[in-house]
Parts: sequence; C-alpha cells; structure tokens
Amino acid sequence: MIEKTDINTLKVTGDFRNDMINEFKKHYNDLNKNSSKPVIDLSEVEHAGTLAVAFLEFISRNKKFDIRTGEGLRSEIDKFARESGYENAETKLSFIDRTVVTVSGFFKELGSFTVLSADIFYYSLRSVFNSSGRRKGSVFEQMFLMGNNAVPIVALLSFLIGLVLSLQSAAQLKQFGANIYLVDLIVIGMILEMGPILTSVIIAGRTGSAIAAEISTMKITEELDALKVMALNPLKYVVAPKMLSLTVCLPILTVLSNLVGIFGGFVIGILYLDLSFDMFFNRTIEVMTLYFWWQSMLKSILFSWLIVLIGAHFGFKVKGGSEAVGKAATSSVVAAIFAIIMTDAVLSLIFYFEW
Amino acid sequence: MDNGNVIEIRDLTAGFDGRTVLDNISLEVRRNEIFVILGSSGGGKTTLLKHIIGLLRPEKGSINIFGKNTLEMNDDEFESILKRIGMLFQGGALLNSMEVWENIAIPLEQHTDLEDEVIHRIIRQKLSLVNLRDAYYLLPSELSGGMKKRVSLARAIVMDPEILFFDEPSAGLDPITSADLDRLILELKKKLGITLVIVTHELESIKRIADRIIYLQKGKNIFCGTIEEAKKAGIEEIDRFFGWEKD
Repeated sequence: MIEKTDINTLKVTGDFRNDMINEFKKHYNDLNKNSSKPVIDLSEVEHAGTLAVAFLEFISRNKKFDIRTGEGLRSEIDKFARESGYENAETKLSFIDRTVVTVSGFFKELGSFTVLSADIFYYSLRSVFNSSGRRKGSVFEQMFLMGNNAVPIVALLSFLIGLVLSLQSAAQLKQFGANIYLVDLIVIGMILEMGPILTSVIIAGRTGSAIAAEISTMKITEELDALKVMALNPLKYVVAPKMLSLTVCLPILTVLSNLVGIFGGFVIGILYLDLSFDMFFNRTIEVMTLYFWWQSMLKSILFSWLIVLIGAHFGFKVKGGSEAVGKAATSSVVAAIFAIIMTDAVLSLIFYFEW
Repeated sequence: MDNGNVIEIRDLTAGFDGRTVLDNISLEVRRNEIFVILGSSGGGKTTLLKHIIGLLRPEKGSINIFGKNTLEMNDDEFESILKRIGMLFQGGALLNSMEVWENIAIPLEQHTDLEDEVIHRIIRQKLSLVNLRDAYYLLPSELSGGMKKRVSLARAIVMDPEILFFDEPSAGLDPITSADLDRLILELKKKLGITLVIVTHELESIKRIADRIIYLQKGKNIFCGTIEEAKKAGIEEIDRFFGWEKD
C-alpha cells in the first residue's frame, strides 16, 4: 500500500507489487517537485517486484531523497544494481562520425551494387548462350508474368496520359491556330519521354518490387543457401531469367505504350481540333524518325536493367525477418523510380544537345 | 488461491468442428510447483495450454486462475490476469524486426511508464539472469535456437509473472542446451517463486524438473500425480512412455 503520511513522507507497506509502480511514480514526482527534504519510507515493505526494485535503484541515485529501507529490500536493490550494472558496447557516435558512417555506407552500398550488377550481367549474358543452371522455361514464364500480364495496365494508363497531355496542349495550340503541331507534341513527347518513363515506372512498381520481395524472402528462408549447396548459382538460377525476360519485355511494352499514347492524341486531334485522319497520319509519319525510336528503345532497355539490378540488390542485402521483406520491396521501388528518372534526364540532355 | 492452487480446471471439454479434443479434464496446479503436461502427439496438450491462457474457449467446464473463473471475465479483468502470467511459445515468438532488448522492452513500455534508463537496466538484469548479456543489440535472426528460447524466457519473466507457461521448451535443442534450460527453469522456480506449467516430450527433462505430471491420452486425463506415483500406478500407456515396461 502506498500512502503519504505527511507532506514530506511517502510510505509503502506490505507487498510492493509491479502494478503499483505507476502510482508510486506519480507520488515520487510530486514529492520531487514540492518537497525540499523528501523521505521515502520502505522499512515495512515485505516483498518488492522487479519493476519496483529497478525503480527504487534508479531513485536511490537521487541524493535529495532520504530513502529508508529494511535489510532485505536494501540487499535486493544492491543485487539488482550488480546484475544490471554492466554496459553493452552501444556505439554512440558524434555528428561527424555519423556523417562519415552514412556517406561511407552509401559508397559501400554503391560498391556492392556495382559488383552485383557486374555479376548479374555476366551470368545473364552467359545464360543467353548456355541455358544450364537455370530452370527450363523460366525465361518464358517470367516474360509471361512481367510482360503479358502488364499489357492491360500499361495500355490503359498510356492511353489516358496521351489523351490528357494532348487535351491540355490542344487548348493552347488552338489559340494560335497551330492545331497540326499537336501531332509533333504528342509523337515526340510519347516516344522520347512519356512512353519509356511511364512504362518503366509501372514495371518498377509491379515487377521491381516483386523481384526484391521474392529474393529477400528466399534469402531469409535460406532458400538461396539451399540453391548454392545444390551447386546452383542464385544469380543464374533466379536473377538471370528475370534479367533476360525484362530486357525483352520492357522495350515491347514501351512500343505499345508509345503507340497507344499517340492514339490518345489522335482521339483528341480528331474530336477536339478537327484534324482529319489523313492530316494526322501524314504528319505523324513526317515527325516520327527512326532516331526517336532508337532513343526510346535505348532508354527502355537501360531502365529494364535498372529495375532488375535494383530489385536484386535490395533483395540480396536484406537482413532480419518478415518486416525486412516489406522494406526491401519499398526501397527497391523508390530507388528504381529515382534511378529511372535520373537516367532519363541525363540521356535526354545528351541526345538533345547531341553531346 | 487460499488452498494453494493457482490454477483449477473443472470438467473442461473442448473440440474443433464436432471432434472432441479435450474430454472432461479436471486438474489443479499448486503454487510454486512445476506441473508438466504429457501425452502422445495429438493428445490435446497444446490445446489444453491454449485454453488455460485464454487463446481458445472451451465448450464447457470452468478454468479458475488465482481463484477466479476466467471464462466469466470481461476483457479488462482478463487482461489483469494476463499481466500476472507469462507464456513462452514453441518457436520463441520474438518479433523479428526488433532487436533483443526491444523485444523484452515491449511489456515494460506498454504496461508501465518507467524511465528508459530503468527499463534498460531491467532488461540487462533479465538478460544476465538468462546468461545472455552480449545479445542486447542483436536481432532475433542472429540468435541460435537456444538463445532465442532464452530471450523469450527473459521477455516472459520481465513483468515477474506468477505463472509461467512453456510450450515444448526443449523442442529442437541439443541435450546440453536443453539441460541448461532446465537448470534455468529450476532456478527461476527457486529464485522468483514462479509456478511453471510445461508441455514437453523430453523424458530427461521431465525427470529433472517435474513436480507433478498430467498424462493426456486422446483428450482424456488418464493420470495426474507425481512421477513416483505414476511408476506405481502401472498404467500401460505411461509405462511405455517412460520405458518402464515390465521385463
């Protein structure tokens, strides 16, 4: 039982159970604030729980308090202090150290990413000519999963983007009577930028996260180790089929996205800008050059590699348990989208200024 | 509780989908004893344990813990009972994404408003009690099976439970680690005055620690008492279990 016998004294009697600790703490804080010579009388405590002992040990270091305990409780507190009074080497770093650790950690990760990427390229390339060490039909299975199943969403979103992009530009072009230039806008915009980016962002969310989740789960459940022991290289067995199939699928999906996006523009051109089919078609042929398509394909192939490499990287570096899998998937998507847009910006600048 | 029994079960009957798993079980567990639940696989051991700690509800019968019928309690009342008991699951059931100390800190952080420093010291004390001082900042994935069991033991005892339930403490452990764990269990019983209810198959372990046993066969209580009594009882199934068959 806890009672305040006078303004300066807190007295506990009988059993000092763990569930009394919150109440005791409230009184203690009160006393600490309002009293100049506080006394805690514990001489009549018969038994105290661990939490109570731990808290008493903590406040016994507050010199302001006069703490009276019986022999038994005193020795329990001392024993607790002995048993808990060791330090674990927790690394408390200064700001500079932390910065160094963060920066060096980033470069270390970049290094391991580079090494992993080189390995994946090597095994994927070998896998093209020599299918030993990967499951029969795994490339086609992956193509079906990554490519075929993504067609509806890529097509729908590309159509909508093409449609709204054209609509917004059409409103401006109409003011100058420059209706026909809608074709230039949408053809160049879709093929060079929107097509590759939109498709790879969708695929990064769909496939990149799946790659990271699959590999990290395999790592946590020791499936990767099992493969290694069966003399199978996980990069060749698991990653290479994904690499190969996405290298094929993403450019195809990008072509689809480009065409469907341009069709979206066509719909606006016909319905809103009163362009005829012939005008739109002829202008499209004039504007569209092989050079644009070549850029578009180059971008989409690079993006497909980024998606697989980043997914694999976050998958392989996972540590811990079930929650880490979710984190790996999230980080892989964020990193992949970041890398895709960065690469796109660099490539666009290079191509535009013909460096 | 006055008669020294912390758990009293009367006529407990339970089942899944019309199949009876526990058939009219009655038993009592006395304060500060080690009570072992035995039986062949599928005999209803884990089911009985899950009924006692309220994870499952029986079809009929009563379960008294600390003299109160838990089946008639509301959530708050039952929670206050739960705060006085601890449970150690078969696989340890540590939260994988948290370090060892964070795992042990969960009940302290949720049920008390102690200072962080006090919490850290309590965790250190419990870890040194289970001989795992160096595991403080490790993740569960970095621990061996025996270490995981000991960490979850530290988590189970951090609030000073009066009853501790164990589901197969020695499962998957080597004989030496298992013997160490038994020693730890006996120490806890002596030092902290805990009552332990243990489900296990390990013969060696049972002989080392059990004060009293209950033997379940196909959901029926065929024996309840000390090991010596079991030896004298001459029940065939139990003799076979312990290897006491007549020569």
